[in-house]
Amino acid sequence: MHVSMNELKAALRRCFEATGYFVGNYEDAGNMILWLEKHGLDGLGELRRALPYINLDSDKPLSTVVYEDSTSAIIDSNGRSALNCIAAAVDLAHAKALESSLATVTVHNCHNRKFVLKALTDCGRRGISVVAYWQNGSRTVTEHTAAIRAGERYPSYSEATTSLGGEPDERQTLTIICSSRVDLTSSLQHSSGNRNARHVSPQQLALNKEHSVDHGIEIDPDLWDEINRIGTGILVENTERSRQGAGGR
Amino acid sequence: MTTPAAINASLRGDNALPLRPASQVMQLERLGAMHQSRLSFMRILIRRIMRERWQIDPARFELDDQGYGTLVYEIRTPHDLFSFVLFSDYLSPEERNDRVIATKWDLTMALVAGSVEPEQLAELRRNVPVQEAGRLDARVLVLSRANRSARNFDTVVGLLAAGRQPDVAQIARVGYLYRTTAVYGSGKLGMADWEKVSTRYPDFARPFSAEMFVCWMLRNFSLLQAEHIARHRAPETFRPMETEIKRYFGIGNSTGLGMAPYLINHPQLINRWVEMRELALARVRTLGQLDDRRRLELRELIDRCSSHMQETVTEDEWQTDNNRQVLKDLDALHDRVTEHLESWDQLLRWSEDNCTLQGQELLVSILLELYPELVEDLEDYMSADEYLDLDPLMPVCELQRVIEQRYAWALQVDFGKDGARETFWYRSEEKMEPRLGSASCDDGREKQMALGVAYAVRKCYDQLCEYVRQHPRHTTARFMVARPKLRGIVRRIQSMNRCVYGDIQANLLDRDVLPMHLLRAKLAFFGVSKFDPRSRLWVRNTMFQGAPLMEEIGRTFNDDWFMPLAPQR
Repeated sequence: MHVSMNELKAALRRCFEATGYFVGNYEDAGNMILWLEKHGLDGLGELRRALPYINLDSDKPLSTVVYEDSTSAIIDSNGRSALNCIAAAVDLAHAKALESSLATVTVHNCHNRKFVLKALTDCGRRGISVVAYWQNGSRTVTEHTAAIRAGERYPSYSEATTSLGGEPDERQTLTIICSSRVDLTSSLQHSSGNRNARHVSPQQLALNKEHSVDHGIEIDPDLWDEINRIGTGILVENTERSRQGAGGR
Repeated sequence: MTTPAAINASLRGDNALPLRPASQVMQLERLGAMHQSRLSFMRILIRRIMRERWQIDPARFELDDQGYGTLVYEIRTPHDLFSFVLFSDYLSPEERNDRVIATKWDLTMALVAGSVEPEQLAELRRNVPVQEAGRLDARVLVLSRANRSARNFDTVVGLLAAGRQPDVAQIARVGYLYRTTAVYGSGKLGMADWEKVSTRYPDFARPFSAEMFVCWMLRNFSLLQAEHIARHRAPETFRPMETEIKRYFGIGNSTGLGMAPYLINHPQLINRWVEMRELALARVRTLGQLDDRRRLELRELIDRCSSHMQETVTEDEWQTDNNRQVLKDLDALHDRVTEHLESWDQLLRWSEDNCTLQGQELLVSILLELYPELVEDLEDYMSADEYLDLDPLMPVCELQRVIEQRYAWALQVDFGKDGARETFWYRSEEKMEPRLGSASCDDGREKQMALGVAYAVRKCYDQLCEYVRQHPRHTTARFMVARPKLRGIVRRIQSMNRCVYGDIQANLLDRDVLPMHLLRAKLAFFGVSKFDPRSRLWVRNTMFQGAPLMEEIGRTFNDDWFMPLAPQR
């Protein structure tokens, strides 16, 4: 079915608000998913995979800083979704880069890391260059990288299937490198046995966005219903008394 | 013609104009005392239509003798072609309900990009009349609906059919034939997103421009339909309505709580509207030459406002009393400018000491009328990029200072006081309608919307002070990793600190909060008149009263429909 971007964003915000995300985080989550979808990077597919687990995050500890110095930090996200913690990690890298020219933040135990792309794009818009790298999967390992130059509006994104073996203690790690002085770019190497490689240029992302602006978003009706069903958790039961609170006579 | 750089230089820095301070302008009660002005969206839209001579012609006119059927207008603007599609259906009096929860209406409408082919019209026919129960696509910009003011409509049709004209005194009491009860845009129900409208359609690339256009088209149709029915009822005796009287009909509007969260959730946009209005005032205050012609115009406008207020009939006692006060203000203003008027600055200061808030804000609107050349070029700057960005590098000590300076008003609220957190705002499961609840007797507080900005600032400040004691050298980014629950409010504080006016200064959780001030502020920016609160949560008003008619496009136009008066008979 067809929905507008604004409609999807509003429904996602309700969904994450109902799931217990904090003010600020539920906007971020909605914006991260919409950003991927709007730019042709299957944000709704990522959401579908994340949705069964999103209500578990409210029982997990908040992210903790395991190590920190002036140019780097290691954050343990305690198994949380990137939807509710990755923006803060990118902001920390941003702040350290502004102080030290180049900074690295490593995030462990963080799921759904592809959603980091929206936060990277915000950095680019604000004049900071960023690269992110992560691997995914235990049997078949895929690897991913995204980067944006300072002042640009769109990042690049690459993914490939590797010949690496999965490690049993795979730590769901994401590495962020951020610079206020150097323009960083990234692409996956061809020589490491990668297959199914895909590189999406900033130009292609810009074209994908224009299409979404013109036509809106196509979404599977079942997923749309599920997002809205979860979102009803923020609604208050209708009563005769509550109708008076709407101001009608 | 102005530029963004010139505007910026007038708002900030060494060469900034003398703007009224945020502590004065952003008080909720003052915002709720604002009036329409030359920068209101309806005025801006009508200037465009008239000066660019938009061509509006019927492409399909299928109304039966009772005025029911389908009508499509094609609108040729300088840049594009649009279609206004309207369905007029029978509605029994029992089904007529202005609340958002209604399911049937007299008229339903859509504004569509391009021409409408039969196949698309059939699709619109299936979806537009059912409003929220239907789905639209990205070719549709606006969806709306309206209900008849049954008594007024039937009376007017009867008079026209009998060859008589509507009673002007009655129009002064109820200045419309239809009331619009909802106007949707910005991607609602699958329609085009604002991002599309603002980047693809320059004719509607200003806030609420397309929505206002639909209301104006509705006003035109309401007059056409009344004449159409009267003509068919009594072709022998029918006489068309006189132009002056037609112009005095607007469109009724009833606005409820749904609009209030918008103001809180779009703080940068609201700040921008206020900035442009205040910049216009500062330009007049500083650059507006006070000569004999302006003195004369000023007195005429004061007198016109007086007459307008005298002709305004409101049911609400509080508003009626306010209007009486404004009349006294206008009398005093009249005397003052006759006896003593040296500068606009002096007059504005005098009004602050001698007039009510409504009187003071009416004077602001009057002054903007006097200097179109200082005001109108700001109309293209009413939009804002709405990014609530975190400033990750800001030291926590500076964040603390920012809160103390920019949110002093919020820190002054005693949230421990009885009633200070009594009100909560929530969405009902009935069409997600926004409603107000009382913490002492209503359920649902745990699901409240995050509209209590002042309280959120207070909580943030308390935690921040504690954090600063422990980590005085940390950045905001580091604070956010440690206190992720505060991300939303910190981002808002930092973003609004970059604005001249910032947040609306009110505790919206207070037991005695008056949401109608929020509604009225937004409606004043829209350009409505004749506010008539129906409760503290709901305001009736009139749109486009006095505005030029569709058939007047191409004729002379002096953009002088501020505070319209009843035609002299």
